[in-house]
Amino acid sequence: MTDLQIPAKPRGRWKPYAATLVIVAITAVTLSPQWGIAFGFDAISRNWQNGVGKILEMLSPDFSFFPRTVAPLLETLQMAVIATLVGSLLGLPLSMWAARPTNPNSVTRTLVRTALNIVRSVPDLLYAAVLVAMVGVGALPGILALVMFNLGTIVKLVSESIEANDTGLLEAGSAAGGTRAQINRALALPEVAPAFINQTLYVFELNVRASTVLGLVGAGGLGLLIDAVRTFYRYDQLSLIILEILILVLLLDKFSDVIRRRLV
Amino acid sequence: MSLHNPTRNTATAAQAPQAPAPVPPAKPVPWRPLAAVLAVAVIAVASFWSVEITWSRLLGLPADIVRYLWLMFSNPNWDKLGEALAQTWRSVQMAWVGTVLGLLISFPLSFLAARGFAPAPVRGLLRMAFALIRAVPEIVIAIIILSVTGLTPLTGALALAVNSIGTLGKWGYESIEGVDPGPLEAVRAAGGSTSQVIRWGVWPSAMPEFASFWLYRFEINVRASAVLGLIGVGGVGDMLTSYTQYREWSTVGVLILVVIAVTMGIDAVSGAIRRRLTDGGKPQ
Repeated sequence: MTDLQIPAKPRGRWKPYAATLVIVAITAVTLSPQWGIAFGFDAISRNWQNGVGKILEMLSPDFSFFPRTVAPLLETLQMAVIATLVGSLLGLPLSMWAARPTNPNSVTRTLVRTALNIVRSVPDLLYAAVLVAMVGVGALPGILALVMFNLGTIVKLVSESIEANDTGLLEAGSAAGGTRAQINRALALPEVAPAFINQTLYVFELNVRASTVLGLVGAGGLGLLIDAVRTFYRYDQLSLIILEILILVLLLDKFSDVIRRRLV
Repeated sequence: MSLHNPTRNTATAAQAPQAPAPVPPAKPVPWRPLAAVLAVAVIAVASFWSVEITWSRLLGLPADIVRYLWLMFSNPNWDKLGEALAQTWRSVQMAWVGTVLGLLISFPLSFLAARGFAPAPVRGLLRMAFALIRAVPEIVIAIIILSVTGLTPLTGALALAVNSIGTLGKWGYESIEGVDPGPLEAVRAAGGSTSQVIRWGVWPSAMPEFASFWLYRFEINVRASAVLGLIGVGGVGDMLTSYTQYREWSTVGVLILVVIAVTMGIDAVSGAIRRRLTDGGKPQ
């Protein structure tokens, strides 16, 4: 019997420290006044009363403003519904193109995936800003911006869930001599339907949130009103709008929760 | 099956002649899905019908889009590349500072919001606060904050920080509650204090998840920081709105290319790190 062998300490214990060091270094650079965003408390210490005043103003919403918010609120919902519908109907076939089991052709698959990765990397409000300049102010550029944003999200999530599904059914289809289109229509579609409905609901929630602010760049909905009250510094009216967004989003959460529970 | 269970087969075969002609049961009418489809159709038709859009504008749209894409990308104005990159760097800084501030504040709060670490009223209040923050778009938060810090990148960073607290706090307490209770009990049984329970019971198993949430939120903040520029707090969004208003499409093209390249680059790096964190390092 020799002495008890103490195992060597695991290697790589420096890694968390190195990672922390890198994070602290980047943070220091971004906070510095020369290279970064000049983080400082002087503005906060000078103007905090201003902010507190605004927040106090927001605590008493101007409810007489409510009638004027109804039409923009409806427009926001309309934009979200139309964009979700168009986006999900376009997204379903594209997700089949982007998933390996339903599209064995690697060239078209990579093509669709790359295109949608690019589409997804542009934020919705930037689409809206550019589209407003192209097609004019109103709900149309907002809907188009949301559709672009939806395509990216739906195709990514649905194609991933197609790839996670069991491929046995699809193999049976091709063994029985079905064409790709027949297999996808008869076998892949019913299998992915619950996931597809689920993601469509999720995208609808995202759309309602997003469409409340798209108007800030002129794309219709509640955002137009937010922009108007913000230029007049009417924080009491702004807080009414925020309150409406809150209620809308919370109701929507409950609604989609109920539907999801039915689906499963 | 027939090899292992012959009796069952003979039994059914014997019964078959006596049984009446099989009547296939009526197909169930899928009332619920039908009703759902009908409801969706009604809502959709109502929306299409009531929204104020001159649909005729859609006819000219494809040609318009091709024309504008040509204006943007046929001859991009590369002279502005330097400024575009500088503004993008500023947006990324906003995102970074927002993420770091958000994680510093949300990390302790997510413990207070997790079951087993704080009294129920604190937990409920914090969870409600997280839900409220998540429901307000970051651009609206920025509008409130700019009354204190003005139209500076700091406003953008603070707005992103506030919004990050909402999501990071929620993911955080969910992940703490998902930790295997065994090690926690072991530390408690050995007489560990709460901070020791957190350090030796929660942290080792929750760390990869936390780190990957932080990285993921950074990816979200990079996109959001470009958007925040639209209200004038600086960064690439600010530059994009001005050049769109001047209708200098060749510069807008450069800006869009820069946004796409930087976002995809950051997503790729952060995604690679997240995969290493959650799936472990190289196989031994």
